[in-house]
Amino acid sequence: MAERYSFTVNGVKRSVQAEPKTPVMDVIRREWGLTGTKHGCDNGTCGACSIVVNGKAVKSCLYTLERIGDGAEIVTVEGLARGTELHPVQQALIDAGAVQCGFCIPGIVMELYALSLTTEDPDDDELKKAVGKHLCRCTGYEAIVDGARLAQKYLKEMRSPA
Amino acid sequence: MDFKYIGKDLQRPDAVNKAVGKSIYLDDVMLPGMLYAAILRPDHAHARILSVDTAKAEVMDGVVKVVTGKGNTIFYGDNIRDLTPMAVDRVRYAGEPVAAVIADSPEHAQAALSGISVEYEPLPVYTDALDAMKKDALLIHQKHEEYWRLPTLTPVAGTNIANHYHLVKGDVERGFEDADVVLEEEFNYPHGSCAALEPHGAIAWFREDKTVEVWSSSICPFIIREDLARVYELPASDVRVHIVDIGGCFGYKSDITVEQTVAYVASFVPGYPVKWVASRKEDFTSTLLGHGIRTRMKIGAKKDGTLTALKTDIYHSTGAYADTGVNVAMASTHNSTGPYEFPNCDFNGYSVYTNTPAVGAFRGYGHQESHFAIERLMDKLARELDMDPFELRDKNYLGEGKVTALGETLWKTNGDIRACVSNVHKAVYEHDVQKEDNDYIYGRGFAAIMKSPKGAPFSSKGCILKFNIDGSVSINMGGAEVGQGLRTVVKQVAAEALKISPDRIRSYTEIDTQFSPWEWQTIGSMFTTQGGRAIIRAAEKAIVKIKDTASRVLRVDADMLEYDGEWVYLKSDPSVRVAVTDVVRGYMHPDGITVGEVVQTTSDARLPRYSGFDPKNGQGSMGVSYTFGAQACEIRIEKKSGKIIVDHFASSFDVGRVINPKQIRGVVVGGVVMGLGASLHEEVTYDENGRIENPHYTKYHIPKLADAPGKQTVEFVETPGEIGPFGARGIGEHPVLGVAPAILNAIYNATGIEFNEIPVTAARMKQALEAKKEAR
Repeated sequence: MAERYSFTVNGVKRSVQAEPKTPVMDVIRREWGLTGTKHGCDNGTCGACSIVVNGKAVKSCLYTLERIGDGAEIVTVEGLARGTELHPVQQALIDAGAVQCGFCIPGIVMELYALSLTTEDPDDDELKKAVGKHLCRCTGYEAIVDGARLAQKYLKEMRSPA
Repeated sequence: MDFKYIGKDLQRPDAVNKAVGKSIYLDDVMLPGMLYAAILRPDHAHARILSVDTAKAEVMDGVVKVVTGKGNTIFYGDNIRDLTPMAVDRVRYAGEPVAAVIADSPEHAQAALSGISVEYEPLPVYTDALDAMKKDALLIHQKHEEYWRLPTLTPVAGTNIANHYHLVKGDVERGFEDADVVLEEEFNYPHGSCAALEPHGAIAWFREDKTVEVWSSSICPFIIREDLARVYELPASDVRVHIVDIGGCFGYKSDITVEQTVAYVASFVPGYPVKWVASRKEDFTSTLLGHGIRTRMKIGAKKDGTLTALKTDIYHSTGAYADTGVNVAMASTHNSTGPYEFPNCDFNGYSVYTNTPAVGAFRGYGHQESHFAIERLMDKLARELDMDPFELRDKNYLGEGKVTALGETLWKTNGDIRACVSNVHKAVYEHDVQKEDNDYIYGRGFAAIMKSPKGAPFSSKGCILKFNIDGSVSINMGGAEVGQGLRTVVKQVAAEALKISPDRIRSYTEIDTQFSPWEWQTIGSMFTTQGGRAIIRAAEKAIVKIKDTASRVLRVDADMLEYDGEWVYLKSDPSVRVAVTDVVRGYMHPDGITVGEVVQTTSDARLPRYSGFDPKNGQGSMGVSYTFGAQACEIRIEKKSGKIIVDHFASSFDVGRVINPKQIRGVVVGGVVMGLGASLHEEVTYDENGRIENPHYTKYHIPKLADAPGKQTVEFVETPGEIGPFGARGIGEHPVLGVAPAILNAIYNATGIEFNEIPVTAARMKQALEAKKEAR
């Protein structure tokens, strides 16, 4: 039976009428047209579908509507940039040369964004643990790790502008 | 040479859209009235279809149409037309399309597959070329010799051999007689999956006006267009193929594969676009696989290390359809010398039908498989000869004036392999290897590489260059951006050639066969070389037009003029000048009368004198553009687990000219990790019924961050080439070529254990270490 769920999505109140077992990814992509969230595998291995729910990075192909629950606050990759001003995490990945085919990038952006919400000054192990949850077939990860480090510098600058 | 824009770290033009999630990939395309297809796949890898019953599915929720292969007479392919969009009376691999449901949602389409029942009569299954070549093996394709094929291909009737390529140089028997040492070994590079993060998929739309539109995550829009036009008897101009952003390719989204199936399905519902996107499982079971090459190699050398002869037999388990694999086996065969000159060669390449998904391109295109063999064998030969492996190789490297197995004499401008070897030698071999300790054994290994494209003589890449009113420039080409960064290369090459800042050069985004200039397909690491050359040609034509109009304005012969991107001026007096912006749409005199051509030019570029091969000996000018390189690594093997850790991997390639240092490093670093995956982890395995056992990232282990080398050294040599822009050569595929032999040579160096087969998983390594201990 379809049920009604209301969420805050990138700061906007949105609702959906759907089966409780519907993966959030399907609602995000097809109902709301937020196609920045990518479908790479079907079982939460690749991380391309990562979004942030109530401040935590989750894999939206595994998380169902009932699991995230009515009223949840959702941020997708579309919710980070302010117009042409990119989020520091996005800018850092670009500047480090971490973007190749780009399919894994939205998920990694959301992972690093979620990390920035909980951890002010993550060490290298924490950064690698975050990147390590994602698959990338292009870069060999070097530039992604560089980008994750650079993001911390940009975030610091954002928190305390010189 | 001084460059203003070449050799600089220009930011990728597509980076921002990708990072903000606004880049559009195939599955993001939504069309009015779009329907969704799901495809039924058999449980058998080889079986007769006795019956298909679709009655139940037809009345299920949301179902628009159920499609089967009944009555299908379509055969397609670019090299051998042995492919069919849907199985008719037999299935030849366990991922083959047997029936499809078209519905109003992907969920409804998927659910209705359960309403289709199919009866099969199983047949013997062969997943390995050596089994399919046995005398009593059942034929996977009856009378396959009757399929249309390129005239250069040679099927063996009455066998499962779809093609036999034979290459001869000199006299191999005499070569072995002249040898003091002869070695013979067998190697295996098993099936793998490119497994790009974005699964393959397509949308097909048979429109009421009898035109067809297709969207695909493919690098071959023009081949798709031409093959669909042929099958559906339309002018090619009435088939429009769109390519949006591609989430990784690495080979398997080349050729024409899933598009014909999706088109066949969509042809039953004219007027409706039909989308099909592979599940991750289908991406493994029902698109192209890679590799699957067994190599038997016999090498002869004199005591002083001079190579005298090489005999290679390539057995390619090419899958249920050979169209996409036939050239892989040929490339593997004629490049099996690696970067060495052999005076005498005798090579056989067999493309053999097997009951697996069709095998096609995988970054490296046959080269890594036979490089694995030759580079393992060269190390072994050095030990037999009691020679330093670097010295043995150095004695035999190809280079200026040397002749390849194909009979091509190399030029100085093909590159300098010794400079590459020297770079990685310095990085890895000029310090001591760590001594074995309680936990680890240490070793290092080396491999040298050579790669040419497997192209086609007619292959070309087009460019349309358009000056805009403000002097900015739009470049439109047919090359597919799969992540390699060709859009950045386009901007930098055009900027340099036109002397205009890259900020004022717009690189095309999607490809649309209705507007894009023709490109054969974006393969063989050839976009920078051929595409870059096309840009330079188009730029030269544009400058001629600009000068021509300026010469009329300034009332002087055009050859007296200089162009600097902003002005056209008299060489002898720069104050006599006209602005480029004033001539690009023709020059308007004060009275309004306008003269001169609008500055928009077209061009294309082939590989010069690229040829087919001589049927007598298999030789021909089939390389033309070579890139040489060297790779080496330092590894550590954990004794307890057998885990192989790559601490340092060094690569050096002679790329002729580095266009974008950051981007080219990214390509190499990523390619090394991809090669590492094949060497240590990745293998598509089959159960006894020929079904893939590991069609998921959870079981098919592509490298994660933790698997990547601790450190990578990447250095480039720049011996300018003849063909590419500013001397640049191809590099996209090359970084994977030497990885497996370098790592396996390092394993031998550490342990004295010979592996001739990959992947060397921790379990296999541990077992080998234990066996060695017991033998002691």
